Amino acid sequence: MQVTLLYGTESGNAEILCEDIEADLSDEHEIEVADLQDTSPEDLTGDRHYIFICSTYGDGELPASAISFGEALEKDAPDLSAVRFSIFGLGDTTYVDTYNNGSKQLAEMLTAQKATQVGPRGLHDASTGDPAEETAIPWVKERLAELQ
Amino acid sequence: MAGKLAIVGSGPSGCYLAQALRKLSRDAEITIIDRLPVPYGLVRYGVAADHQGTKSISRQFARLFEKQDVAFLGNLEIGRDLDLAELRSVMDAVVLATGLYADRTFGVPGAGLPGIYGAGEITRYWNGHPDAVDLAPELGARVAVFGNGNVAVDLIRLLAKGAEDLDGSDFEAGHVNDAVREIHVIGRSPLEQAKFDAAMIRELGQLDHVAYQLATGDVLSESDEPVVAALNALFERDVSTPTKNVIFHTGFQVDRFTENNGRLGGVLLTRVGADRSLDLDSAITAIGFTADTSERAVLHDAAKDLSEGVLAPDLFAAGWFKRGPTGTIADNRADSITVAGHVVERLNAAGSEKPGRNALIERFDKKLTDYQDWLAIDAAETHDAPAGRCRAKKPSYAALFETIENRRQTACK
Repeated sequence: MQVTLLYGTESGNAEILCEDIEADLSDEHEIEVADLQDTSPEDLTGDRHYIFICSTYGDGELPASAISFGEALEKDAPDLSAVRFSIFGLGDTTYVDTYNNGSKQLAEMLTAQKATQVGPRGLHDASTGDPAEETAIPWVKERLAELQ
Repeated sequence: MAGKLAIVGSGPSGCYLAQALRKLSRDAEITIIDRLPVPYGLVRYGVAADHQGTKSISRQFARLFEKQDVAFLGNLEIGRDLDLAELRSVMDAVVLATGLYADRTFGVPGAGLPGIYGAGEITRYWNGHPDAVDLAPELGARVAVFGNGNVAVDLIRLLAKGAEDLDGSDFEAGHVNDAVREIHVIGRSPLEQAKFDAAMIRELGQLDHVAYQLATGDVLSESDEPVVAALNALFERDVSTPTKNVIFHTGFQVDRFTENNGRLGGVLLTRVGADRSLDLDSAITAIGFTADTSERAVLHDAAKDLSEGVLAPDLFAAGWFKRGPTGTIADNRADSITVAGHVVERLNAAGSEKPGRNALIERFDKKLTDYQDWLAIDAAETHDAPAGRCRAKKPSYAALFETIENRRQTACK
């Protein structure tokens, strides 16, 4: 399957996680990785499956590299009805009220433009100390299995 | 073959710089030097012990040493073991990313009294930094925290927490601040203009046994700032039998600290139309950080293009050493990426004639610590973690080097 991993990051963790997922899946799937900062919502097509990996920053906001993508979604309101995506969030329950709010917001913004979310949002809690890839890679495999 | 680079300082800015540079150059020789025997600087010793999620960025940086052919050379202090000029003579480029170590202090009478501590030194003590092992602060029951930024919030939270609130952290049991009863928070600007992150103020509200209040006679003005809503929510919480009280004072300058029996006894605060005096057992100043030597200012004055981190054709600066004490870890990542763009130009133009890392290894040999040494310390600290803690830090140079020596002897057998 053709899969694009799109990351929204502030401190670099989501980017590294994409590299891990790519390394794990590249034998079975055709994987591309891109920064949301370098991606326009209009680039998204129905030919690929998109997996967003997105952290949360500040007061429950989108991380820096996802901001321009989020703004374009709201401003241009592109029709994403052909687009299918899954989304995995990086968060920290130390900040209870805003835990994983970035990925939640991004999922809502995508579905508001009629994109179809596949599977539940994956979540990682950095305060556990567990490596994110240990949660994320099985989660990605489940999503891709559902699609096949 | 690209040139040879040394990054001085293995904190987040130095590691982010190495990361960005490796993306730009597969074959540059990258060496990260630290004066401490272990890597990660502020991540290990500055980020609060109960913010393990933030500390988890060290997982990113581990990849530098494990997968990306970056070397760590610890226990090497530039200016003590080796002059900067000597380092420059063996490298094609050097990046200074040593941060800002020293606490800014108040220039008021009594500021030097025993019982007044800097946020940096207290944070290092709480984080098991080997330079702070002997600090043993006497905080007593009544502590004042001066400052209205996130460093102050870290201090308030760690002063307010009891042992059970620190589960999952690597805060040492012996450092828990059980004797503290009153925490006074004092800022120069009005509280509604405080630079606290609202998320960090809300985090204070998770401590059920702590009561937060605005000092009698003080007013928090209405504002759309999220921090004001977060503070009001704290003040409105109903805590029937608090174990600790946190009192916020708004818009006060320090007039002077007063003495009692040879150490801090209190503080006199002043603002237009009001004075206030508080009895204190200790005070912690969180009013900013500064360089601990004059060299930084000299290099800044002579810099070719400071905003881009270019001090000289072969010398660069990153992080707080470059920017001054502002910006989060993530802000400094963006900055390190910018500086890496200039560093790689220099490395690509270099002729690769310099001896680089090998010159340091030949000269300093077993004095240097490496990434394998760190892995041994990491494993020992994790293994020895007591109940409710994720790690038991080796808090002294002696303890760190003992672990390193044990590993080396085992490795030789």
